[in-house]
Amino acid sequence: MIVTFPHMGTLSIVLKALFTQLGCQVLVPPPITKHTMELGTRVSPETVCLPFKLTLGNFIEALEHGADTLVTCGGEGPCRLGYYGVIQQKILEQLGYQFRMITVEPNLIESYRQLKYVAPHTSWHQLYKAFQLAGAKMNLLDDISSEANRLRAGESVRGSINLLWEQAVREIDLAESCLAIKGLREDLLQKLQAVRVVQPLNPLRVAIVGEIYVMLEPFVNQNLERRLGDMGVEVSKTLLLSDYVKGHLLRRQSYLELYKKLSAIATPYLGHYVGGHGQKSIAYTILKKQQGFDGIIQVYPFTCMPEVVAKNILPKVSQDIDMPVLTLAYDEQTGEAGIMTRLEAFIDLLKYRQTKLRQTIKIDSELSFLH
Amino acid sequence: MSRSENMSLRVGVPQGLLHFQYGTVWERFLSELGAEVVLSGETTRHTLDCGSVLDEMCLPAKVFFGHAYQLRDKVDYLFLPRIVSIRSGQYTCPKIIGMPDVLRNNVGHLPLIIDTNIDMRKKSRPLYQAIVTIGQLFGCGVVASLYAWFRAWQYRARIQPVGWAYDGRPRLALIGHPYIIYDRQVSLDTLGKLNKLGMQVVTPEMVEREEINRAAAKLEKKIFWSNSHTLAGAAMALMSGSRTLSGIIFMTCFACGPDALVGELIRQQASQLNIPCMQLSLDEHTAEAGLVTRLEAFSDMVKRRQNT
Repeated sequence: MIVTFPHMGTLSIVLKALFTQLGCQVLVPPPITKHTMELGTRVSPETVCLPFKLTLGNFIEALEHGADTLVTCGGEGPCRLGYYGVIQQKILEQLGYQFRMITVEPNLIESYRQLKYVAPHTSWHQLYKAFQLAGAKMNLLDDISSEANRLRAGESVRGSINLLWEQAVREIDLAESCLAIKGLREDLLQKLQAVRVVQPLNPLRVAIVGEIYVMLEPFVNQNLERRLGDMGVEVSKTLLLSDYVKGHLLRRQSYLELYKKLSAIATPYLGHYVGGHGQKSIAYTILKKQQGFDGIIQVYPFTCMPEVVAKNILPKVSQDIDMPVLTLAYDEQTGEAGIMTRLEAFIDLLKYRQTKLRQTIKIDSELSFLH
Repeated sequence: MSRSENMSLRVGVPQGLLHFQYGTVWERFLSELGAEVVLSGETTRHTLDCGSVLDEMCLPAKVFFGHAYQLRDKVDYLFLPRIVSIRSGQYTCPKIIGMPDVLRNNVGHLPLIIDTNIDMRKKSRPLYQAIVTIGQLFGCGVVASLYAWFRAWQYRARIQPVGWAYDGRPRLALIGHPYIIYDRQVSLDTLGKLNKLGMQVVTPEMVEREEINRAAAKLEKKIFWSNSHTLAGAAMALMSGSRTLSGIIFMTCFACGPDALVGELIRQQASQLNIPCMQLSLDEHTAEAGLVTRLEAFSDMVKRRQNT
């Protein structure tokens, strides 16, 4: 049995650690490329969202390399993600592949049975250790990437943070115990602190809201955070893999409280859960304004239902709280130049707003002095 | 508020989306409560123009928006219940759930909106709570409101469409949301055109509910959108039924989320059973001539297949 799973940012490192510890043979699909996209798009329904096409592409590539057990996630709607598994399985079967698909539904007993299928002779202790190591890797990766997104704006040598990030990913991938991860954490955070930074006076701060797959997968979002960082913008992603796992899968109390709070913030504009992260996109737009951010970028795959609802409401939110919002919908046609032009225009707008704001404050203070 | 004053309360009901399924009940219910029901009328070109302020939405959502927009200055209340779920374990669709908010945040100077939540995902109690809440708006008590609903529901039972019987013409299944198929502007009257081409058209509404549920239960995973559940169930039931089916047309609107997946499900099943299947994707730019050509070609093909 050779287990594989789709890519989503650093997810593959976490799942690889998990399944390896469970004693499975793991095949990580080749990194997403244009070829993956073409493979997936060719056999997918035309107007399905981009993650469907790309994860299907991942599966095809992995099956070609010899994988025979596909792990994917389920769900209860109303987002389409919950029904991916069934359709992808049918498409792959029609293509003639031999495999078994394991869909992890939000159902403990069923999940445990599937776990027993993947790892039949694992003790509770081994299970615990596997999940612990995967969790530690996930947390560290998320912490490093958040820190990197914040610092990239001020690095004195362009690209030094990116180099460090790639090194971090490699080392975390290789680490084999929680102790090693702990050591790595100190080491990597120190290295990040040591990067020479020219702190600009008031760097622009932009928060990214929207759909998780597009937000986390650099191939899809065209390295959004790096591009912004290179323009001297501090980036904060409102959804990380660890947030998703702790909030949606483990249902930690702290996250449930946070989600309740976010839902309350969004209610004047969107009064009900619409699936996915639609309500959160609106809530974070308001919350990040209060936290002093300069702009919001909403990202999602073209035709994503929850985010389209949010998108049609965000202009009003933006107007009411005076917060610029840029919406980027990604599909398989999205070109680099188009994204760059829009980002540059947006950042120019934010810069202009910032200088204008500072001028008004200055004039105000001068006037108050005169009186 | 006294009962006599209520007589003048004008409630606007947009004729879009779920109105095609539950409109008769809503209208009857509202008039039982003593409201004057104002309908937005059939979809027109102008409705589409009003709806196109929305970005990336599917056509039926834009149409609904247009209907509500056209009603906004003619009524005291707009009836836009937020229908989250109509059957246990199922949702309607994110766009239907978010519709009241989309309207509120895109149109100024709206009348009061009745956007009571109806969420029957876990239990049916919320429906009755919603009925009572809406009744209160019109000054009706708990019993009066529930009775009004009961009367409206009975009225609906009387006008349920009957099934269909084979009449010798080639039989086509036209699968699509009621708010696409039965909206003559959106579907460009595909139903009528197919009838004129000499086809016997069967829509999901003509299939027995039990039959739909039975066929849908055979799917690998329960579909969690109620309309899609009906579409897939009806298509599966018609295709696997003992009575022969000459062809199947799946009608969808561009950017409909659930249809992208359900359409694939139906297409695969049809190709396995060797039943001709055509997918028609509509949007506000769909030209009538192009549609007619495709329908004619499909019906010619179906007829030829039947003759050989």
